[in-house]
Amino acid sequence: MPETEAARPTPGTHKPTLRTLGWLVCYDVNRTLGGIASMELLRRSLGARGWMTDEGHALFVAISRLTPGTNILAYCVALGWQLAHWRGAIVSLAAASIPASILITLLSATLTRIDQFPVVRAIIAIALIVATLLVLATAWNLLRPYIKGGNAVRTGIIAAVVIVLALMNVTPVRILLVAAAFGVVMPSPAAPPVAEPDR
Amino acid sequence: MSIVALYLLLLKATVTSFAGMGSLPQIRQDFVVTHGVITDEQLSQAVVIGRSAPGPVGAYVVAIGYFAGGWSGAIAAWLAMITPALLVIPLLTLLRRFLHLPRVRAAVDAVVVASAVLLLTSVVRMAIDSFEMLRRVFG
Repeated sequence: MPETEAARPTPGTHKPTLRTLGWLVCYDVNRTLGGIASMELLRRSLGARGWMTDEGHALFVAISRLTPGTNILAYCVALGWQLAHWRGAIVSLAAASIPASILITLLSATLTRIDQFPVVRAIIAIALIVATLLVLATAWNLLRPYIKGGNAVRTGIIAAVVIVLALMNVTPVRILLVAAAFGVVMPSPAAPPVAEPDR
Repeated sequence: MSIVALYLLLLKATVTSFAGMGSLPQIRQDFVVTHGVITDEQLSQAVVIGRSAPGPVGAYVVAIGYFAGGWSGAIAAWLAMITPALLVIPLLTLLRRFLHLPRVRAAVDAVVVASAVLLLTSVVRMAIDSFEMLRRVFG
């Protein structure tokens, strides 16, 4: 029997059980390569059930982008917090991170046992090139929104300062602090669009 | 290296990055250059493993933890990976209040740009290692 308008849940007003929340987060985050794809899957899964609005999704994407660490994990914590406070945040975080972490540990353990075989080393060598290109893509994805319009010169200056400091063997933390101070004294001429989050 | 030290070093890397792979330069600095607990090759392998598995890209730090400290190192790394995500809760409140301020926004933007450029410098190192390994395997 089709659901009536009155019976249809109002977006953002219903809440899932912790078990359902955990399952949905686990399934959506760990069936993709993370990032914006996982966020979109979560938006669809939870939105279809009336547990999240598009506005809530947009807010979580923006805030996860500004939270240190892995964006998809921050997104999941924000989502869980919104739905069930601390319990929701912890369940979401565990569901998003534990399966991948177990798999990666097992892969690491396996690799340390077989990486002396020539065939394995050849595969790793090729995979390293692919991984290098993927890291390059990540860096470009981060940088891209900041090289458009009036922000290009400012971005160029920051990049030059960072490269010089890196060549002087200044540690990354200190370089980031210098960048933050630079940002305070030289505000952006134009607000960049929200970058596509990395995973 | 003790597990606590491993956790704190990885936490320093994850809490000062704004993307899954953004922690790479700091991890290389601490684990390869300063303490020498893993090699550049292991660092690259961790990246390969992280990008091969589904789920968050930032989970590559778990492989770093395993290479540096075995199973307990992997657990410490997992904790270091998830800890910064919890900062989103106070940030939800703080950012609603302060992010509209131009200088706060500009500082955050500058850190993201610097993080991306640092990542590019890591790419150079990874590319050199990749070709070096290819040369050893096929040369």
